[in-house]
Amino acid sequence: MAGRAAKIARRTFLIGTGILGGSLLIGAGVGAAYVKRRLNAFEDYKLPASPGEVSFGAWLIIDRDGNISVAVPHQEMGQGIHSLAVLLAAEGLRLPAERVKAVPAPEAWRFVNPVVMKAQLPLDPHSESSIQAAALWTVSKLFRISGYQSTGGSTSTRNIAEQIRICAAVTLDMLTRAAASRFGIAADRLEISNGSIAAPDGKRATYAELAEDASRLDPREVAPPPLGAGAYSGRGIARADVPAKTLGLARYGIDTREHGQLYSAIRHSPKFGGKLLRATLPGGLPGVRGIVEGEDYFAVVAVDYSTALAGLEKADVQWQQGVGLALSTKDVFGAYRAALDKDEKYPSRWVIDSAGVTARPSIGVAAGSGSERRIVSATYEAPYLAHTTMEPMNATALVTDTSCKIWAGHQSPTVAKLLAARAAGLKFGDVELFTPYLGGGFGRRLDLDYIVKAVEIAKHFKNTPVQTIWTREEDIRDDFYRPAAMADLHAVLDGAGSLISLVYKIATPSLSDQLVKRIFPAAKGGLLADKNAADGALFPLYDIPNRSIESFVVDPGVPVGLWRSVGHSLNCFFMESFVDELATAAGVPPLAYRARLLERNKNNISRRARTLIERLVKYDAENPKQAARPGVKVGRGFSFAECFNSLVAQAADVEIEGNDIRVSNVFVVADCGFAIDPPNVIAQLRSAVNYGLSAALFGRIDLEDGKVVQKNFDSYPALTLANAPRISVEIVTSNAELGGVGELGTPGIAPAVGNAIFAATGKRLRSLPFVLSTGA
Amino acid sequence: MGIEVALNGKKTVFESPASTVLLWALRDELNLVGTKFSCGAGICGACTVIVDGQQQRSCQMSLSDVAGKSIQTIEGLSSEIGKVVTAAWIKAAAPQCGYCQPGFVMAATSVIEANPKQSAEEVLSQLTNICRCGTYDAIREAISDVMTTLKKKGA
Repeated sequence: MAGRAAKIARRTFLIGTGILGGSLLIGAGVGAAYVKRRLNAFEDYKLPASPGEVSFGAWLIIDRDGNISVAVPHQEMGQGIHSLAVLLAAEGLRLPAERVKAVPAPEAWRFVNPVVMKAQLPLDPHSESSIQAAALWTVSKLFRISGYQSTGGSTSTRNIAEQIRICAAVTLDMLTRAAASRFGIAADRLEISNGSIAAPDGKRATYAELAEDASRLDPREVAPPPLGAGAYSGRGIARADVPAKTLGLARYGIDTREHGQLYSAIRHSPKFGGKLLRATLPGGLPGVRGIVEGEDYFAVVAVDYSTALAGLEKADVQWQQGVGLALSTKDVFGAYRAALDKDEKYPSRWVIDSAGVTARPSIGVAAGSGSERRIVSATYEAPYLAHTTMEPMNATALVTDTSCKIWAGHQSPTVAKLLAARAAGLKFGDVELFTPYLGGGFGRRLDLDYIVKAVEIAKHFKNTPVQTIWTREEDIRDDFYRPAAMADLHAVLDGAGSLISLVYKIATPSLSDQLVKRIFPAAKGGLLADKNAADGALFPLYDIPNRSIESFVVDPGVPVGLWRSVGHSLNCFFMESFVDELATAAGVPPLAYRARLLERNKNNISRRARTLIERLVKYDAENPKQAARPGVKVGRGFSFAECFNSLVAQAADVEIEGNDIRVSNVFVVADCGFAIDPPNVIAQLRSAVNYGLSAALFGRIDLEDGKVVQKNFDSYPALTLANAPRISVEIVTSNAELGGVGELGTPGIAPAVGNAIFAATGKRLRSLPFVLSTGA
Repeated sequence: MGIEVALNGKKTVFESPASTVLLWALRDELNLVGTKFSCGAGICGACTVIVDGQQQRSCQMSLSDVAGKSIQTIEGLSSEIGKVVTAAWIKAAAPQCGYCQPGFVMAATSVIEANPKQSAEEVLSQLTNICRCGTYDAIREAISDVMTTLKKKGA
């Protein structure tokens, strides 16, 4: 990359490393020594162990009974990451999984998540450039010292799997050598089984007995056995949290019960950007301990939540007149349309075209001429979406003059402590965080406004724990939404229907700008090429010789955040629906058309992509869709996506009766490199499909006069047993680098269903949620 | 002078005011947190308890509504069918985040106890609970397993 493009890319790297963690000042030349110290601390970190326990590296503890604790720096929100850590530790130590338990990793730099930070960099993941690889390697090392811990982006397994496997292999080696030394027998004559190491003459010692001696040996670099070679990888284990969750014994943030705890019900300004004037509770209410006036909210604090809610309804509240957003959904999409039509108010933020990343606005890719050429143009739209985790937002805070304790589900302990400390007027180290199970994350719990507000409220009741719970109505209208977007897609096909060029323009807010400002309010926006806006369209595997993807940042002021699969949830719908439109224009069946778009590239990932398309072809041939019945049209649609370093393809069957859309069956075929716990991978794919389908059929957050229209599950419905499809899953093992799974099923379901609706009815739906209407 | 109920088979007196929502009385007065709050509008079923044999959404009831009645929460699920349901649920590994699952288990148990000879499809058609993790395939498997087991037992 030459000149200006290279400068921008380098600056993007630097800024990319600086956003989260805040302590990197490489550009200012701060301390190579500082960096080195922190990197060494990273490498030398040893997991703290209690008396009687022995720790190995950063990940494992052997207790007196020879049972194992494995440290997990990711929060369990249903994705099964705690179980994955148990699986790998058990397999590596050749123990039954029942003897291993997951424990939360300490909040230490060692447990940073560089994978999720790398994913924010607008780099072509298919690039084979060694310069890019070297740069990424360096940047990963630097990300490490940021100390940013987080759970999300389908990165948890990729972050910890290899580290745990290596640690277990090294630990087993140390235990074996300790036994060899103790018995005076060569290590290769020892037998390891069920937590003991035995010599041929019958002498034996348990891991517990060997642990102390083993820990004094120098670790040796030992390669772990390949995935699939041990007891559990490629097979799975029973998740240890399942019984407790079934029997109601699992505890979530909302279940925190601290001595003397009070409960608070919060109400936010009905308009985004609104400000509170005053809130009072005239006449009080028995059981209410007070009313807290925040900047843009108020809260009633009481002895139980029922009373707090009653207080909320009885409160006399006034919001500042004329403050806050006044726009409606129409205005948002009107602004998007203006941006795409080149209104100067919304300049192009960046363009990525076939030549790489540039900052010059695109002037459009030459369409060429010739009567055989066909032009296919379409505009696609998608609405704001709420997350609606089953457990509404809540946090319990206990603030004293010198400390702050927080009990809450979240997806980043680093951000939780940073924001809690700031809100309490204390230091990062003064905050103690207790993290239970999360009743759903989906990206919502990466925005920790609910912890901030809980602290602010608890400050008014120092030395008393106060649990602030959001009602479902508050949760829906004060979310950080999946951004709404509008995209213009313009393609040129040659006489044979092959794709010659694609111009893709998207208007949507910058998620990165908002995210950064929420953690570092003084940060300047507009520096980062926001990959989130066009993820899913940015670096397609499809062979598109001339392509241009341009982003226009239009931020109407609605808070936006990370929603399961983020940019892919928009751009996979746009792209995969549009590819079907191209196939139709070319007169080629949709799967054959995709195969054509993938056939030229000879790299491994394209081969893996073609394999998935072939599996869809096979599925389609072997599983005829249901026959149409009188009054019922049927159709099957397909989609393909590459995201989170994995590949996935889907087939969806729809039945259309009148204007009713019913998705009866979905088939998912996924390649995440290697499925370490296949039953859990299947569960995650099903979960992500249903999450995306719920949105595709029902999801819309509308604004009227700056207020969210939707209220609860009546006006913002969720998929239920009645309308959830039967989802079958096939896992393809490519043994490629591990890819993420948690969000993998979401992007492709909307286009698969949209394409199925087209197949059934001939109607092309270009906006979500899908609504059929009689007539046009 | 409180509200008396039979809670999980034991006589229990609530001290909270009669107008207190049952869900919060269970959770906040008695610290029985297995029954969950999710929508507060009777739509999602996370707060499902069994009152006098019927599944009820506890966020829609007050203490005065249940005075003198028998209430079963997830903590007290101990019937034969309840045990079959929870065993099948665990075998199918239905829970992911798990927050909605106790409500589902209570709803399923009460529906099946009302008629243990139903088909799995009939049972499923009466379960309107919401699961945002979308574990519906595993739930279908669990219910199918339960009804097969009960059929074998000749329930």
